[in-house]
Amino acid sequence: MKFKTQKIAYYFFAVCMLLLSLQIVYGFIMGFAHMGYDNLHSIIPFHTARATHTNLLVMWLLAGFMGAAYYIIPEETDRELIYPQLAIVQLVALVVVGVTAIIGFHFNWWEGRKFLEIPRPLDYLVVVDVLLFIFLIGGTIWKGKRYSTTSIVLFFGLLTAALLYLPGMIPTTNQTMDSYWRWWVVHLWVEGVWELIMGAILSFLLIKLTGVDREIIEKWLYVIVGFTFLSGILGTGHHYYFIGTPRYWLMIGGFFSALEPLAFLGMAMYAIAMAKKGGRQHPNRLALTWTIGCAVMSFVGAGFLGFAHTLPQVNIYTHGTLVTAMHGHLAFWGAYAMLIFAMIAYAMPQLTGRKLFDNGWSVFAFWTSNIGMVAMTLAFAVAGVAQVYLERRMGLDFLQVQKEIEVHFLGLVLAASLFSLGIFAFIWIFIKYGLPKGKIENVSAAN
Amino acid sequence: MLTKSAAKKFFIIGTVVCSGCFVLLTVDTISRVPKQTNADKITPQVIHGKDLWDHNNCMGCHTIMGEGAYYAPELTKVYERRGEVFIKSMLKDPASMYPGQRKMQQYNFTDEEINSLVAFLKWVGEVDLNGFPAKPDMGPAAAKAATMTLSQIPTPTRPVVYDQVCVACHALQGQGGVVGPALDGVGTRRAHDYLVSWLRDPLAVKADSKMPKLPLTDEQIQELASFLSSQK
Repeated sequence: MKFKTQKIAYYFFAVCMLLLSLQIVYGFIMGFAHMGYDNLHSIIPFHTARATHTNLLVMWLLAGFMGAAYYIIPEETDRELIYPQLAIVQLVALVVVGVTAIIGFHFNWWEGRKFLEIPRPLDYLVVVDVLLFIFLIGGTIWKGKRYSTTSIVLFFGLLTAALLYLPGMIPTTNQTMDSYWRWWVVHLWVEGVWELIMGAILSFLLIKLTGVDREIIEKWLYVIVGFTFLSGILGTGHHYYFIGTPRYWLMIGGFFSALEPLAFLGMAMYAIAMAKKGGRQHPNRLALTWTIGCAVMSFVGAGFLGFAHTLPQVNIYTHGTLVTAMHGHLAFWGAYAMLIFAMIAYAMPQLTGRKLFDNGWSVFAFWTSNIGMVAMTLAFAVAGVAQVYLERRMGLDFLQVQKEIEVHFLGLVLAASLFSLGIFAFIWIFIKYGLPKGKIENVSAAN
Repeated sequence: MLTKSAAKKFFIIGTVVCSGCFVLLTVDTISRVPKQTNADKITPQVIHGKDLWDHNNCMGCHTIMGEGAYYAPELTKVYERRGEVFIKSMLKDPASMYPGQRKMQQYNFTDEEINSLVAFLKWVGEVDLNGFPAKPDMGPAAAKAATMTLSQIPTPTRPVVYDQVCVACHALQGQGGVVGPALDGVGTRRAHDYLVSWLRDPLAVKADSKMPKLPLTDEQIQELASFLSSQK
């Protein structure tokens, strides 16, 4: 750690850990409901649990990106963050808005649009909060001593993510257009600009952990984000097959989204190649494990499993079934959750001055959470494929099919228990690291 | 060998071209959607229905146009599949329709609100979704459809309301729900008049019945009673 304002990242990461724990609790509520144990129905009905589960995910990932940015940007621009107190205000505001939204979900206060359930008045507060964040990061880069590709890509990823939140607020009375704009936010986030953020964070980690020349890493960063946008922007079409939009989206969406795995494959190959190329043996092997793991699992979850149901001929049967949940879980885990875990694994020893990376618990956390998530994905896959055949192809009644696949949710809950064990090990280590009391290594540059 | 500035150029040009195409396609889509979705039929009642749909987060359990959660049935074609009688009863008292099954929240909708939701679901069902949801193409449902069209043999005429409502809980010749008893041979067990009074109000005939009182018209009740009496 070179600058004392980097410590702000710690508080964002702590919020991540807290929200993730809550997200898991709500996931279990849904898993049990699918098994037929909906005892909480009167207090936390399924749609409340579902909105809470996904919004907590979005919130802790955003908090993670912000934390990563507050850590990376001072180091990349070689100066302290501007107005560090405002960064704390920004975090507190984010948490207050988020918690208000979550509580609101329990009292039927929401918009009822998948992933964007946050009620409209709070949407405006989110925008203000994100603008403050962009101002702090942008201002720091502006005043910085150098412009690195990594920091510029990260900044544009964050800025476009903020701008793309706006189409979700376009008013419409037509369900089709409502859905059309909603995917401008959701798809162009996760399969577009969030990948810019992901590429930039991976580059930063690879530069630090492998010692490969920055010019080489940043060159490939451009190539990969180039492929991401080449496939991902028009790949939005895979959400426009069956919502009442013109038929040409079947061809455009099918073609471009079929290319999307290439971007993820590129990302995985790039991370592995750089790790092999790197001569320097950074002592924090664990951070490198999470970094490579992120690149590989994002290919499997987002690339491969996304491709599995992205072609219109397949999607006409799988659209709106548990097959989507299968893809969603591994994609978010691999691409974004593991990315933030990699960042935390790298930053914590620097922030706290303690080196806890090589103990057994860290290794246990990595493998248990990953094996657990892969097993969860398999459980969703079996349930989803069974649902597709029984309900969509053989015409059995929805509830009858749900009864048939209840047993797979027992598998899901068991797998999720294993996953949670790994997560709690990770959080336990996070707590053991203690508060950010690491010393500043580069005092002269701090001014 | 690829240089960094060439890589940067590739990124910028690719992104600008793709974004440009995407914006143009969006403009074209916006101009075509009104026709494809029958936007002229989006009445204030439909808008009110969509409003209720959104503000109660129905998508948090159901899917519509294939979008939402996967906990409750897909509702795009529910108007065609279940009809008004079923939808209205379900919205009035969700617990009564599938006793002991997966639960839906009781929202205490007014009749006006229920009518708006029905109007919204009717509108959604008429949108051209490029073939979604696909008709089942395997097993009994597909076989039944095939014999219907191939041999042109008229199947015994069942009332529409039977296929929309009764079938959700009861089975006939192995087809239908399992919540209520099967209806094979019901005509030998029950007289026509009994069936009429039963359909009017099941609870008046048998106080502990789990079957709800359905908002059926007299005409529908007569039609159903005759049909069920013929099941010997």
